[in-house]
Amino acid sequence: MDLDKAALSRRVQELLSDIPRERQQLLPALWRVFEEYWHLSPEMIDAIAQTLDIPYADVYGVASFYALFANPDNKKPIYICTDVMCALYGSEDLLKAGEDLANDAGVRVKEAPCLGHCDGAPALFDGRQTIRHASPKVLAQIIRGETDA
Amino acid sequence: MPEIRRLLPTLDIASAPTSLERLRERGFERALQRSAAMTSQAIVAEVQASGIKGRGGAAFPTGAKWAAVLAASGEVRYAVMNADESELGTFKDRALLEQDPLGAMVGLVIAARAVGAKRAYCYVRGEYREVEAQMGAAIQTLRQAGWVGADTVDIEIRRGAGAYIAGEETALLNSIEGKRAEPRVKPPFPTTQGLWRSPTLIQNVETLANVALLFAHDVDWFRTYGTPDTPGTKLIGLSGHIEHPGVYEVPFGYPLMQLITETEMGHGVSGSGHLGAVLLGGAAGTFLAPDEIRDSVLDYGSLAKYGASIGSGAFMVFDDTVDLTWVLTKLARFFADESCGQCVPCRVGTRRILEFLQRGELERRPEDLRDLAQAMKDASICGLGQTAPVALLSILDRLERRTNETRR
Repeated sequence: MDLDKAALSRRVQELLSDIPRERQQLLPALWRVFEEYWHLSPEMIDAIAQTLDIPYADVYGVASFYALFANPDNKKPIYICTDVMCALYGSEDLLKAGEDLANDAGVRVKEAPCLGHCDGAPALFDGRQTIRHASPKVLAQIIRGETDA
Repeated sequence: MPEIRRLLPTLDIASAPTSLERLRERGFERALQRSAAMTSQAIVAEVQASGIKGRGGAAFPTGAKWAAVLAASGEVRYAVMNADESELGTFKDRALLEQDPLGAMVGLVIAARAVGAKRAYCYVRGEYREVEAQMGAAIQTLRQAGWVGADTVDIEIRRGAGAYIAGEETALLNSIEGKRAEPRVKPPFPTTQGLWRSPTLIQNVETLANVALLFAHDVDWFRTYGTPDTPGTKLIGLSGHIEHPGVYEVPFGYPLMQLITETEMGHGVSGSGHLGAVLLGGAAGTFLAPDEIRDSVLDYGSLAKYGASIGSGAFMVFDDTVDLTWVLTKLARFFADESCGQCVPCRVGTRRILEFLQRGELERRPEDLRDLAQAMKDASICGLGQTAPVALLSILDRLERRTNETRR
């Protein structure tokens, strides 16, 4: 365990090597580490705290505030908007279909508040890009990793 | 009346959205050159004369805000673009930044110059990755052309991470500082104590794009469209049961029903084909009935009659089959989830409203709901808690009117 922790700490330091050691860089730093692991574990938060010299509790407090960083099982998240406009276009059925399919895949299908694509409802966001007018077919392809869009 | 295209580029523009050619073609280079030759006071005076109001939802006079930052004491100043567009039904800043990102960015450069900021931030929501890339390319173009840099103003993009509340201006400032995105108690306002307690100018994307247009032309040109009270054009995000959803640009004073019916815009109600209601302004907007839509134009005075406002320009259309209590429950859940939890009236109030609605008590306990709404309005720290019950209240008012009519 200790060895793993040391390796993790080195990797986090590497990831953050060009980020200035300032409190205001905490959010960019969290993003950098999150996108490496799709997850922020207590060990990662500790490594970020050590590297940026910010108290652990502060880093934890900030990391836990933001919904996009909440991904406890480190499966790559796929967000489906279930807010009003997308719900009018069947996003709740899409979510259910996605949750069933994702059970066996290495991804996690999640509900998201408005993604800002109400004119392309229903919308989904795969962590990097948005897919508008998402169909069950496209969602299935994304879950199986067959396509990026 | 057809759509106006000023903020959105005309359809015949062929240059790439972040190219130097686009900067020239849209007149933004001229805007930069013209403002560079002006004093801070002259720039602020021109913004004041233009009558631009903030396009993020609050409609605060932009020139007054710039004057306040300019007059505030402090060596270091900051300028911030708020691109944390996360309001339900709102996607106009995304459309604008996709189609013409240089406009808002040039507006930010002019804003920074006017208030003496050497550093500026663009705060963009974490789900807008394509937009973020586009903004980065726009900054790069301006850097290569010498308008952005250490000698002028340096611009940094900050990516949010999924928090609606971060769009509240003081929460956004905390987020940039590396803290939890919790709103601050106002006053002091960001104009005097913003980022790291220094005077800070924070503006919505669309507001800054208007500034770029203003300096690409002049006050008279800017006021060609709109009303004397609210000059210029507004981006409206049409969504829901509408044949052609999308972002459309219309002058202030534009008849609301035409947004729905014009063939170039909404092209009519979809779904059942019969208009049931419009939720105008966003999640904290107001429900308008078809006759109220027919009677209203896009201006603050006209809409005040129905207790409505333009807000962010969200225009959510529902056909006559949609149960508005379902919509209200969705909105209530949105606010309960997105409340930052810092202050009690909002944290508890948004949750209680959701419970009332889930238990089907909308029509049984209107007075309790009104009391709760009033407490949230009076005692919440920020706009989220203060306005979370607005849509609900508009439905309660409608129910009350119906009851009174039946009694008569």
